[in-house]
Amino acid sequence: MLNAIESYLSSGVTPGEAGSQLWAAIYILVITLGVSLAVICMNWLERKILAHMQIRLGPMRVGPHGLLQPFADALKLLIKEDIIPTNADKLVFLTAPVVVTMTAFTTFLVVPFGRAHAVTDMNIGVLYMLGISSLGVLGIIMAGWASNSNYPLMGSLRSSAQMVSYEIAMGLAIVCAVLMTSLQTGTGTLSMIGIVEAQQAQGMWFIFKFFPLGFIAFVVFAIAMVAETNRAPFDLPEAESELVAGFHTEYSGFRWSLFFLAEYAAMLAVSSIAVTLWLGGWLRPFPNALSGPAWTLAFSLVPGLSFLVMAAGTFLGTIRMPKIAQMRVQMIGLGVFGALLGLVGLFLLLPGVRERVQDVYWFVAKVAVFMYLYIWYRGTFPRYRFDQLMKVGWKVLLPIGLGVLILTAVVGLRQELLAAMVGGPR
Amino acid sequence: MSRRTDYLDLDNVDLNTKDKTFLDSTELVLNMGPQHPSTHGVLRVILKLDGEKVLGTECVIGYLHRGVEKIGENRTYTMFNPYVDRMDYVAAVSNGLGYCETVEKLLNVEAPARAQYIRVIMTELCRISSHQVWLGTHALDIGAITPLFYVFRDREEILKIFEKYCGARLTTHAFRIGGCIYETYDGFEQDVRNFCTAFLPKLDEYEELLTTNRIWVERTKGVGILKAEDCIALGATGPVLRASGVQWDLRKAQPYEGYQNFDFEIPTGVNGDTYDRYLVRIAEMRQSVRILQQAVEAIPAGPIMAKVPKVIKPPVGEVYHSIEAPKGELGYFIVSDGSTQPYRMRVRPPSFVNLQALDKMVRGMLVADVVAVIGTLDIVLGEVDR
Amino acid sequence: MSLAPLLRKVFLVDLVKGMSVTFHNQSEKGRITEQYPLERPVVFERYRGQPRLNVNPDTGESLCIVCNLCALACPEQLIVVKGERNPVTKRKEVVTWTYDVSRCMFCGLCEEACSTDALELTQDYEMALFSRDGMVLDQAALEQGQEPVRYAK
Repeated sequence: MLNAIESYLSSGVTPGEAGSQLWAAIYILVITLGVSLAVICMNWLERKILAHMQIRLGPMRVGPHGLLQPFADALKLLIKEDIIPTNADKLVFLTAPVVVTMTAFTTFLVVPFGRAHAVTDMNIGVLYMLGISSLGVLGIIMAGWASNSNYPLMGSLRSSAQMVSYEIAMGLAIVCAVLMTSLQTGTGTLSMIGIVEAQQAQGMWFIFKFFPLGFIAFVVFAIAMVAETNRAPFDLPEAESELVAGFHTEYSGFRWSLFFLAEYAAMLAVSSIAVTLWLGGWLRPFPNALSGPAWTLAFSLVPGLSFLVMAAGTFLGTIRMPKIAQMRVQMIGLGVFGALLGLVGLFLLLPGVRERVQDVYWFVAKVAVFMYLYIWYRGTFPRYRFDQLMKVGWKVLLPIGLGVLILTAVVGLRQELLAAMVGGPR
Repeated sequence: MSRRTDYLDLDNVDLNTKDKTFLDSTELVLNMGPQHPSTHGVLRVILKLDGEKVLGTECVIGYLHRGVEKIGENRTYTMFNPYVDRMDYVAAVSNGLGYCETVEKLLNVEAPARAQYIRVIMTELCRISSHQVWLGTHALDIGAITPLFYVFRDREEILKIFEKYCGARLTTHAFRIGGCIYETYDGFEQDVRNFCTAFLPKLDEYEELLTTNRIWVERTKGVGILKAEDCIALGATGPVLRASGVQWDLRKAQPYEGYQNFDFEIPTGVNGDTYDRYLVRIAEMRQSVRILQQAVEAIPAGPIMAKVPKVIKPPVGEVYHSIEAPKGELGYFIVSDGSTQPYRMRVRPPSFVNLQALDKMVRGMLVADVVAVIGTLDIVLGEVDR
Repeated sequence: MSLAPLLRKVFLVDLVKGMSVTFHNQSEKGRITEQYPLERPVVFERYRGQPRLNVNPDTGESLCIVCNLCALACPEQLIVVKGERNPVTKRKEVVTWTYDVSRCMFCGLCEEACSTDALELTQDYEMALFSRDGMVLDQAALEQGQEPVRYAK
């Protein structure tokens, strides 16, 4: 059996290409667990980073530096009373969170963590991701409708209108990136893995291509994706200080946590699209420019070293804890956590492991940067009023997206255009 | 609680939704209830909406009414001093100043010069503190969640000074009738100077976060416009009045407590919208720092308490005296019948009068703007309801 | 629009400035959070907290001379002092002395009125109780002070 595992892993293709359902199932399991783990981390990170930006500490009591806080939250939500409003449409009420969560998770089928590390490589990968994200809007409308209350209904309608409007801008930016893939081979590709391979072949991340066009497309997508996921500064539908409450008001306990899970999974999904389309996916920085065994070795040491740096930071935190009896358990816990991080770091430095883990590490690192940006936006900006939000989506991002698309096409085909203009019929 | 609703015709609003779905109705009566994160206290606002636009509002107040004025009739003048802090609990020092000055006017005494300087320093610190709380909560309502924490962090220094001086951070009871009872502690001047030097960069930081931020500008420019003649007609005072262009500040118009000795400006706005009120209050904080820097260098030596009898029995008469509190004109009207307890103790709270302008400012705005406008009026329900 | 504001608008300069403010505030420099109950804040000398009746440190007897000025000064009339004249020392001694903390607003008027520095509002602020029963303090409680409940963790 070890031979079977070895032979599959060294084949360098995704389970979809290999036609192996077993491996596809394993990958799906791993990705689901990974996304859930990422959401748990995001919960802690958001609270801590937002707190640090606000000159305060964040959770500190539940576990050392609040590291066990997400688990405490999850447990609390699980044991909470499940309240269903009396006049609510019961079937729709129960299915709405499931729809939202499932669509958020299903988008991860095509997200490539590496050349061979996607569940399957559909040749319409990007289109598939956009389509499934749009299905999530249906779940939100279902949630608002089934609550049988004015304010959640208004909130869900606003939320869905916002998401639909910004999907257009997202789509235009995505088409811009897809256009750029066709400039090497003459045929473009919608496949996620194909887009990253095109970036590798062209030797340039698409964010830098035809500067500043790729960059503008990236910025349009970056703004649209924040609005798509209902995050600050576009979070009016779920803001607490506004009159109209969010669509998830009537949900409590585990059902509410499903919405929360879906929101973070959607954030991860759109960040994955951004990373794949513009930031070179799983490629390490400068794969063509800085090539050669020395550079490859240097870059392959980065994952292990980053974990070791995190472990060092954790040990520093342990040393700086107040040295009183009540804190001893927390100190030990933090030390154990630091030791675990260090072990992972050392494991990632092993010669056999460090090449294999490169792709996944760089992809996850880039997505993590986007998550930090999400939290940073939330801490800094006020929120847009709904009409201003729609104005930005339709009157600012849409024209810019169209303009960038046309300019990319013109610049990309400039030789053909010039030839046609010079050598064409008079 | 006010019950006048005839101009809104609320009785004839058809709330029967049996044959109509919610989406059919064009006029909607919405209740922004007493419990709401953005009403800065227990304020109930009944909104009449046409879709998203506000047709009219009615404020229902009284949820925090504690009978302070009635209590005043049953306490001696000295005893009533601590109660005054609890009205505008964000700026307690101002309230105390207004009250003490009014009784001093009734008694025809004046606080000695040293006491006046100490009072000015404390009051300007209180003004900065109150404007900081306003900034934090107003920004929070509009969605910027970090300035709240920054202002509370910086306000901590002011509250430490209050605590060192009089023993309490919020309900300070700092002044007495006739002057101050607490002598400045060792290091008072240095603390105030340190605060002034540390605060100005912080103020620049708040401005960097908000003043030019396009989202902030879009949310606040043109929202809640109140013209100058409407301000004067409604009796709005304070930054609300000054942002509409009227140059009226009681510290300059009717100087009290030695404000004529200090060199400061009165910032005014142009349009009277929320953005101008924001700019006016930020500028007022800068001017307060200016006053502080001047005052702390020039505290004269001398007694801190005037000759006031132990048992205060003012002559029969009535007096009205007002000061420029951070929120507007805070006035006290005391009727004395010659005994140790006042016959009538009436407070003119600035927030109560400013709140009446809410209806005028909000007509035709969207629902999300109501929250911004309530925030920009800077009301404290403890003062509105007393 | 002239060039500089237009460029600032296009390059999102105002948004980036705001982001830099929140970014550099992440450092520990400005943080003043005190993690109660591990670190208990220290209050200053003039803080008006838990009332205490002082005793003479040498002789151990109460400094209160039952002048009743504190009871007269209190706006809420929550101090009740009863004393009787000791025929030997010709001075008044305390019989009962009660202070109702539940209605106290810690204004300090009683502390100011006291003629012998007997009544003092100390720097103790941990006065939480689970029921109202312990809120009317008698002389013994006022002289010894209340021990706040220390949590194990």
